Amino acid sequence: MRLITHNMLKCHVKNCDNPDKQFPLRFKGAELEQVEAERNDEFLVRMIPRLDWRALLVTAKELGIELPENIPEDPENDDAFLQALHTAILETHVKEGSMVCNGCNHEYKITKGIPNMLLAEHEI
Amino acid sequence: MPKFIVYFAQLHEDFRLPELDALSKLENVRVEYDPRSYIRSSPFLVVEISSSEQAAKLVRRAILIRSIIEYWGSGRTYSDVYAEVKHEQERWALYKTSSFKFTVDAFGKSLTQEEKVRVINGFSFLEFTGPIRMRNAQAEFFVCEEYDETREPKIWFGRVVGTGSRDLIDRFDVKKRKYLGNTTMDAELSLLMANQAQAQNGMFVYDPFVGTGSFLLTCAHFGACTVGSDIDGRQIRGTAGFKRGVDGIRANLAQYNVESRVIDTAVFDASRNPWRPGPLFDAIVTDPPYGVRAGAKRQGRVGGTKSELSLRLVDGTPNHARTDYYPPTEPYEMSFVIRDLLHLAAEKLVVGGRLVYWLPTVAGEYTPHDVPEHPVLQLVANSEQPFGSWSRRLITMEKIKPLDSHEAVVPERDPAHKNFRDRYFNKFEPVA
Repeated sequence: MRLITHNMLKCHVKNCDNPDKQFPLRFKGAELEQVEAERNDEFLVRMIPRLDWRALLVTAKELGIELPENIPEDPENDDAFLQALHTAILETHVKEGSMVCNGCNHEYKITKGIPNMLLAEHEI
Repeated sequence: MPKFIVYFAQLHEDFRLPELDALSKLENVRVEYDPRSYIRSSPFLVVEISSSEQAAKLVRRAILIRSIIEYWGSGRTYSDVYAEVKHEQERWALYKTSSFKFTVDAFGKSLTQEEKVRVINGFSFLEFTGPIRMRNAQAEFFVCEEYDETREPKIWFGRVVGTGSRDLIDRFDVKKRKYLGNTTMDAELSLLMANQAQAQNGMFVYDPFVGTGSFLLTCAHFGACTVGSDIDGRQIRGTAGFKRGVDGIRANLAQYNVESRVIDTAVFDASRNPWRPGPLFDAIVTDPPYGVRAGAKRQGRVGGTKSELSLRLVDGTPNHARTDYYPPTEPYEMSFVIRDLLHLAAEKLVVGGRLVYWLPTVAGEYTPHDVPEHPVLQLVANSEQPFGSWSRRLITMEKIKPLDSHEAVVPERDPAHKNFRDRYFNKFEPVA
């Protein structure tokens, strides 16, 4: 699972609705893999407003990924920024491990890069 | 504006004009035509476009268009055609010394080789002096005799200026895929849906019933980045489906050169999804389960969930924490599947984004009122693929304004796709 997707997922257990706790999900036992991908600046620039930057920074720090604190004024023309963003959100894959909710402690397992976000019966 | 002839493929007739319109917007090429001149049983439509370059650009991605032809003449007889062509003699001069080729076709009839040669010779008044090239000719001329039930031909003549992308159908043929399943959508329609969604570079496209991932592939082929989810992880991982041990959706990515653009897949119930609030996607492209081949289900239990069942201890471990725990599912009736899909689209699409999905309907009972509505989604296209007693319709909707606190319109009557699964297995006998 790439970090761009993780940046868009929150905990959805019944009654777990504190937005500060349910997002972002905290990684536990994350096994990372860097996989080179074709850089797509049009996509990166278009997605910047849809990312939750604060959450992305929290996650990046957690995993030891380099990411600038601030989004530049003119990201389209900032090659260094786009490269760092591309590497962080599109080339960093979490292959195994789990994502834990800071609110209710539910663990969503990740297997072969695919997160399982099905809820148990008491959480629906 | 100059006239061109759109040469359509003669199938999926209901889908042809919507694709043309979608491409016109996507490629930013203005195309004008009289909708009343569109004939379902004809592969030809005369349109006006500002230039040959724009015409070629318009059709380059088209799945239901063979080619686009600069209009030189048409008529009931060759004499009529020659007369029209002779009106613009300055145009021939452009091709006097070019290498050229004549393609002679007939629709609704077969022409012998001799007849075709006679047709070509009939155009010798053009007095082209350049060499004939069967491949890579600088100018390709197209003649077609179109026959309908009256047996009276209509003859079309012009210069080919652009071709569509029907060659992609073979490349994406499901039989060639490393991984597929019994609900995998055929290549032609999967590609068409990508055009309806206007999938292009920079876009982020989501399929909430991703199955074996056909739409992730075709939308990514056209440049979009894609994500998919499904309640059934086995379809995604490839532990169920026709080809096991192949690593599921991932197996197809390298084959189609889209590894960088198929971003992720995840396992969850679309109706109870974990996306954070707000618009995230430029398009949602999907084929929801009708409950026929793939049982439509959602998380839950018939009669209500029983928390004690997942919380109780089994050999000292809470049931839900055991490795073989699988949460219960309940049937998910078709009209609710669609209703929830519209809610999902209304909330998670950016303004201007499109929802493209299949709606199964019962022939003879369907009325346009059956197409679900939503205050922020505008109906753009509705194309029918008939199967006799039932049909499915490719619905395209566009989000026209932000979602505030609008409520979905509650239908007054049961739509013809209500309880579709039961109707299907009861051979669509009328409901009391």
